[in-house]
Amino acid sequence: MNTTLLSILALLIFPGGLFLLGYGLAYEYVDRKLVARFQNRVGPRWFQPLADVVKLLAKEEIVPHGVQRGLFIFLPVAALAAALTAALYVPMAGQVPSYSFNGDLIVTIYLLSLLTICMGLAGANTIDRFSVVGATRVLTQLFSYEAPFLLALLSPAIMAKSWQISEINIYTHNNLWFVLTQPIGFLVALVGLMGKLELPPFDAPEAETEIVSGALTEYSGRGLALFRLGKDVELVIGLTLVAAFYLGGIANPLEFVLKTLALLVVVAGLQSLFARLRIDQTVGLWWRLGAILGLAQILFVIFWRLVLR
Amino acid sequence: MTNLKLDSNWQRILDKIRTWARVNSPWAIHFNSGSCNGCDIEILATLTPRYDVERFGIKLQGSPRHADVLICTGPVTLQARDRLIRIYEQMPEPKFVIAVGSCGLSGGVFHGCYNVVGSIDEVLPVNVYIPGCPPRPEAIIYGVVQLLNSLKSGVSKVGTVAELVEKQEA
Ligand code: SF4
Repeated sequence: MNTTLLSILALLIFPGGLFLLGYGLAYEYVDRKLVARFQNRVGPRWFQPLADVVKLLAKEEIVPHGVQRGLFIFLPVAALAAALTAALYVPMAGQVPSYSFNGDLIVTIYLLSLLTICMGLAGANTIDRFSVVGATRVLTQLFSYEAPFLLALLSPAIMAKSWQISEINIYTHNNLWFVLTQPIGFLVALVGLMGKLELPPFDAPEAETEIVSGALTEYSGRGLALFRLGKDVELVIGLTLVAAFYLGGIANPLEFVLKTLALLVVVAGLQSLFARLRIDQTVGLWWRLGAILGLAQILFVIFWRLVLR
Repeated sequence: MTNLKLDSNWQRILDKIRTWARVNSPWAIHFNSGSCNGCDIEILATLTPRYDVERFGIKLQGSPRHADVLICTGPVTLQARDRLIRIYEQMPEPKFVIAVGSCGLSGGVFHGCYNVVGSIDEVLPVNVYIPGCPPRPEAIIYGVVQLLNSLKSGVSKVGTVAELVEKQEA
């Protein structure tokens, strides 16, 4: 009885549901405000992301002609659900993850990709040409950053000799920060996270100057709101993962806030520094540079483990 | 659904929250239905960092499906008429229209041309008119603020849930 209650609490309030949604919205605000300040603007007010989401939820939802109705409604829900589920396996706010088993690193990475896949499917589901172009770009980008991102998260796992996020977290906490010993992996992971979230310079899938809004062009109201929330949640989880793996682990809420915020500042800076890459440039960058760097890093780590220890 | 009271306190609070969200996050789409481009350049100037309309939550959206406010410039030409109506119909409710520039208000210098239908309000229901040839960015921001104020005070009817149901039943 008690465990069921705790599980429901974990799903709805603390690492899952409400906390994560609120925190995600707060981080979207910080991100937008920082980018605005970097561009010499005043930027949005603190409740802006919340107002956007509430407004979208209150709007009419149009189901356009030519879509598979059930999928059109189901995909945003699945995307948000996957992102929220992933939160159960990461050390949110420095607490022990609510669920944890050997191999949950892989599960989390796949849950995080589910949002992107849902967006791609949502775009391909409509007959609108902008959505379809956006969908192909979403999926192309998925195939380009996913491998380097995974490689970059694997090298700490190999060092910690575990596939369990909580154990890696403890290991990194007790050792020298991996950002110092494995700077390449850190870079690939951080930039991979930006690719995952389709932040500039990797926002070719939703390039508003070319293809309107990419895969989500036909979504109005609730579906759009859920996708946006999903992205915010993924931002928090991604930052937590990178901070736990490369910035010396997350042991308490204060460390959680400070380390993820520091990462967010770097991400916002990178966003305003670079212009959008074309989709072929994105793929080229990831496979020519990202994957090679990730591989080199992982080979180095394996070499270190086998030979020098 | 019949025993669900539509003017209960709960419903009124919900309507308040909705209005708050709408007033604070107007996303716009910009359409040129035959303008000389003067007004469009002023609208683009409004969106630059100097005026920074993200302060008010205003955001330019590419897709009509994401927009709340249709910012329309120029007279409506015969060719643009159907497209304008189509874009308007693609927007989800509740939606508002702002006509920018003398041409949008009355046809302006193009009034009576062989290829011009006339002002925007001959084609769409317009909520706010912004005069000027072209209006300055300050004027455009002022116009948007007027729209938001009218939303807040309830002059521009958005349709509460109670009214929407009444309309459907009628
Ligand atoms: S109002 Fe003036 S600037 Fe605007 S479209 Fe008409 S002529 Fe051009």
